[in-house]
Order: sequence, then structure tokens, then C-alpha cells
Amino acid sequence: MATVNTGLLILGLNIVVISILLSLYGLATGDSGLVGIAASLGLAGGVIVAYSRTPQDPTTASLLNYSKTLVNAVTSTIEDLDLLESSICIVKKGAAFLLAYSKTPCPAQVDPGIGFAGGSPYLAIPIEIPSPVPAEALGTSTAAGEPVERVLRSLLVEELAVCRGVKVDVAGESYSIYITGLAESLRDFTRYPVDPYTLLVLSTLSHTTSASCIRLVQRTYVPEGLVLVVKVEKQ
Amino acid sequence: MRSRVGLFILVYALMTVLSTVSLYLLKEQRVDVYISLNILSYYISYAVIRPGPSTNIVKVLNITLFALFIVVVAFRVYEVLA
Repeated sequence: MATVNTGLLILGLNIVVISILLSLYGLATGDSGLVGIAASLGLAGGVIVAYSRTPQDPTTASLLNYSKTLVNAVTSTIEDLDLLESSICIVKKGAAFLLAYSKTPCPAQVDPGIGFAGGSPYLAIPIEIPSPVPAEALGTSTAAGEPVERVLRSLLVEELAVCRGVKVDVAGESYSIYITGLAESLRDFTRYPVDPYTLLVLSTLSHTTSASCIRLVQRTYVPEGLVLVVKVEKQ
Repeated sequence: MRSRVGLFILVYALMTVLSTVSLYLLKEQRVDVYISLNILSYYISYAVIRPGPSTNIVKVLNITLFALFIVVVAFRVYEVLA
């Protein structure tokens, strides 16, 4: 659900009320010009009310600050642990979700922080997504990836406004996610080992698919946006 | 960070005020002229500023305003032809 800008909403509603009063006065005095002004004002009020329900830039600003902090911390830790070529995955541990960097794909025994699993070091960060909506709650669909696509679009486009479009293709356990129209402020993060798009997509998928492990197989930056290939391992 | 939505609303409001005041000072009495110029102001501001991603409510608004504009233009064309 998109956040509401209360200030804009009140402004728009006030303009609509004024336009109604003005049109009544225009009709009473028989001044069509005044009715025209009222109609124009009413439209402007309607537009402002509609835009009060669109995601505002402060949402992106908060995500930008969070991403900067996360990238700085994680990048230096990953370099120290020699995990720059590692695989990224989301591991479900009880009710918690851990973002794990490890050379072992989907390590089974991970705890939050730094540790060893399968003879290789790992970095695991507990994560929480803003609106965990299971795909099952969104109804059934003929296309396999449509519920997941709907959840991702609702979060990335409508709630956080970090991209313009999301498309999901499913082939077995593999999900290809095409994210287009990346936000200018977050585009640069796609060059780093951790970026908000990958993080949000992986964590959302882990919620919607109820998988025990979600692994990022490929991350490609294209001129239109970002393509993520993700493997879901349900065990 | 400046809000693009805020900038869009500012430009749209300025264009609306300018067009509406000009029409009233020119003693324009047709209501549909005010509406169509307002819709044009909206689309010009939208095309220039691009206020963020198209959410469902913005898509509905765009379609509604476009349909309204088409109705106004169709009515004028019909009036000329009739």
C-alpha cells in the first residue's frame, strides 16, 4: 500500500471543495466563465489528490541512506573475508531470513554475523522486508511468475518507487527478474557486491515462495535496467 | 533531494493559473475550453517533469483525463460538422 502525503491530500480536497462552491456561485449568477474556472480548479484538485497517493522521494532518500551504509559496511567486510567472488543467497533460519555471502552455495548452517560453513567463510546479515505478502494471498494466475511479479511490482514500483517496471519469467526453479527504469540515485549501487535491488528481490522471493534458500545465479546490468537470475531451492 | 512530484504540482498549478486567468480575462464563457486547457497543462507538465513511476492511480488519472479531452474535442468537432 502506497503511503499518503497528508499535506497534498488536504490541499487537493480543499481545492475541490472551493471549486464546488465557486461553481455553485457561478451557476447562481449565470456566469459561465466562473463555472469554467471552477471546473479547472476541480480538475487540479483531483490531480493533486491522486498524486498525494504516489510514492514520494523521501522513501527513496531513506533507502539511499540505508544502501550507502550497508554497501560501505558489507563491501569492506567481504573484501577482508575474500568473498568478492562469492554467491549471494537468502537462507531461512526459523522465522528469520539471512542474507549470506559464501563460496558455498546455500550453506545450511549459518548464524548472523561472520562464520565458517562448508570450509569457507561466510557473512550473514539478518534482513526484514517492508511488506511480506505471500504470493498465495494474491490469488491464482495462469502465468507461473505472475503472483511473484505482482508482489515485486507492488513493493518496488508502487511502494518504494525504485524502478518503473518489473517482469518475472519462471523456468522450473529458476526465476528471471527484469527490473527496468532504475531510480537515478540507486543506479550506481548495481556495480557493488550488494545493491538494494538484489536485496529486495531476494528477500521478497524468499517470503513469497516460502523457500528454504534463494540463490542469486546471475546479475546483469543492461542499459534498460537490471536482470537477475535467481534459483529457488525448496528442499 | 527535491521532490519531483512537488515540482510537477508546482509547474502544473502555475500553468493552470496562467491559462485560467488568461481565459477569464478574455471573457471566455465556454466551460470545455477551461477543462481542455487544464488537461493540456497537465500533460505538458507530466511530459516535461516525469514525476516518478506510473502507479495504478496515476495510470487511471491519465486515462480519465485523456478520455475527457477526447470527449471535449469530439463534441467540438461534432458541433462544427453539424
